[in-house]
Amino acid sequence: MAEKFLEVKNLRIEYRTEAETVYAVNGMGFDLEKGQTIGLVGETGAGKSTTALGILGLVPDPPGVVVDGEIFFEGEDLLKKSEKELREIRGGKISMIFQDPMTALNPVMTVGAQIMEVVQLHEKGLSKQEYRKKAEEMLELVGIPAGRAWEYPHQFSGGMKQRVVIAIALANNPALLIADEPTTALDVTIQAQILELINNLKEKLNTSVIMITHDLGVVAEVCDKVSIVYAGQVVESGTVVDVYDHMMHPYTQGLFDSIPDISTDGKELKAIAGQIADPANLPVGCNFSPRCPHATEECMKSEPQLREVAPGHMVRCFNCTKL
Amino acid sequence: MAKKETKQEKVKKMNDPTKKVRFRFLREIIHRYCKNRLAVAGFIILILFALAAIFADYVAPYWYDDQDISRRLMNPCWEFPCGTDQFGRCVLSRLIYGSRISIEVGFVAVGISLLAGGILGMISAYYNKLDNIIMRIMDLFQAIPNTLLAITIAATLGSGMMNLMIAVGISNVPRYARVVRAEVLRVKESEFIEAATSIGASSWRIMIRHILPNSLSPIIVQVTLGIAGAIISASALSFLGFGLSAPIPEWGAMLSDGRQFIRTQWYLCVFPGLCIMILVYALNIMGDGLRDALDPRLKK
Repeated sequence: MAEKFLEVKNLRIEYRTEAETVYAVNGMGFDLEKGQTIGLVGETGAGKSTTALGILGLVPDPPGVVVDGEIFFEGEDLLKKSEKELREIRGGKISMIFQDPMTALNPVMTVGAQIMEVVQLHEKGLSKQEYRKKAEEMLELVGIPAGRAWEYPHQFSGGMKQRVVIAIALANNPALLIADEPTTALDVTIQAQILELINNLKEKLNTSVIMITHDLGVVAEVCDKVSIVYAGQVVESGTVVDVYDHMMHPYTQGLFDSIPDISTDGKELKAIAGQIADPANLPVGCNFSPRCPHATEECMKSEPQLREVAPGHMVRCFNCTKL
Repeated sequence: MAKKETKQEKVKKMNDPTKKVRFRFLREIIHRYCKNRLAVAGFIILILFALAAIFADYVAPYWYDDQDISRRLMNPCWEFPCGTDQFGRCVLSRLIYGSRISIEVGFVAVGISLLAGGILGMISAYYNKLDNIIMRIMDLFQAIPNTLLAITIAATLGSGMMNLMIAVGISNVPRYARVVRAEVLRVKESEFIEAATSIGASSWRIMIRHILPNSLSPIIVQVTLGIAGAIISASALSFLGFGLSAPIPEWGAMLSDGRQFIRTQWYLCVFPGLCIMILVYALNIMGDGLRDALDPRLKK
């Protein structure tokens, strides 16, 4: 197969404080082809956002340390790049949409000036008028009238602000867009609009997307591939059809079971038993074993590796084929 | 109705994208500031004092050191609206010339504190390792009462205008260092700073374009209030005899000189005191007004 567009291999990120070491990402791995969308799904604290920050080289240091791993982007290892090279990539080839649009915009700059800034940083040598025009075009692209370009963030609603954030992220036509829970802070109708917008723009600009979310519905709507993340590892990955229709890992099954179903008229929501693994104190053996209904002695002792159960469908479980 | 329409037109003009952004931002602040009548009054008073200081040579009826024993200790009258002092000098003229000194001392002293405090505050907010060292030294300074510290410095440096400003300036450095550090720390952790990093902005750019403008308003407010404080400190130092000495017409020094005549010549103390009070009050309400005008959350 040809060179992968993006390949994350065995990424390990730790947050080291005096009191403890938090193992946020433990051997994360996934790959992505040009124009594809991958969903990273997992509970809060599973290490999804840290992975995203890792790709951009933005893990806060201290306390964050990238311990191990490789991130190949267009054939080059991002972890080996200098800060200066990374600055060129950030906002240019890779950009990020943040979770909360309310705080992701600078309150004292007009939205147009903020879009202009990212263009100015990566596309030198245009006149001020051209930058201005570009900013207005980007706003039009995300469905905001150009006339509002020179207003301040507080004059926009949450959904509009997220559109602005998307405009900033896409202003330089990046090859890869990392969307870190882009719809979590928005209400449901706006969520659908924003997802549709990301989807349309992605197709128009042929951008690859990493969609970080805990919402399985979002993944089903926009993703080609999905990786289920637990305690900083991928526990199951494959195409959306693989994972949604032939789920193998007990954690994935638990996630799907916990979606409330209106037709069964259940009295209680089904939650996965137990607490999410404490990343500062991971269990021996399979990380999910303390919560797994099918855990055997083997699971408590040794760590399972990802196994291919069907072409392209990987599962990190000893017993998945027996279940 | 007609008035409302013009207002709408004004708003429309303000949102006109062809106009310069910076200009409009400033206009918005001025607009909000002007809504606060008291703050405008404070600003006008400050302007009046500033004008008096600038055109003292034309406004003041006498030179500040025109002595004439024959007219000493005269009560306020038409020729000498604020009376004369023990050397027969016109108190009004001295007050007018004194505004030069007070305003200069206030601004320069705050400039010194802001420059030193601002740099120290930014360094300690940015470099974790230096944070503790710098802030503990600042704590050390703050443990000494402000006026006492200023007296110590002034006594060491000796009297004179520059030394007075340095003394007042240095004694206020910790306050500015703290304000700047707190603001930079707060803004530094905001998500939009992370977002700015994620679009590839350098740390220098983030500092200048994103952190500084967002932390400016508390600093501006602190400066306005600080000028008032510095004027009081300078007057206090002169009053105690550590600042400027005769014949320079410093308000605090005038107050101090007038003290010995307070039973018979009340105006020698009252007018300099009033001047200090009015200028300081004007600066304080200006500071309050600025705080409201600069707060982007109150923009609506």
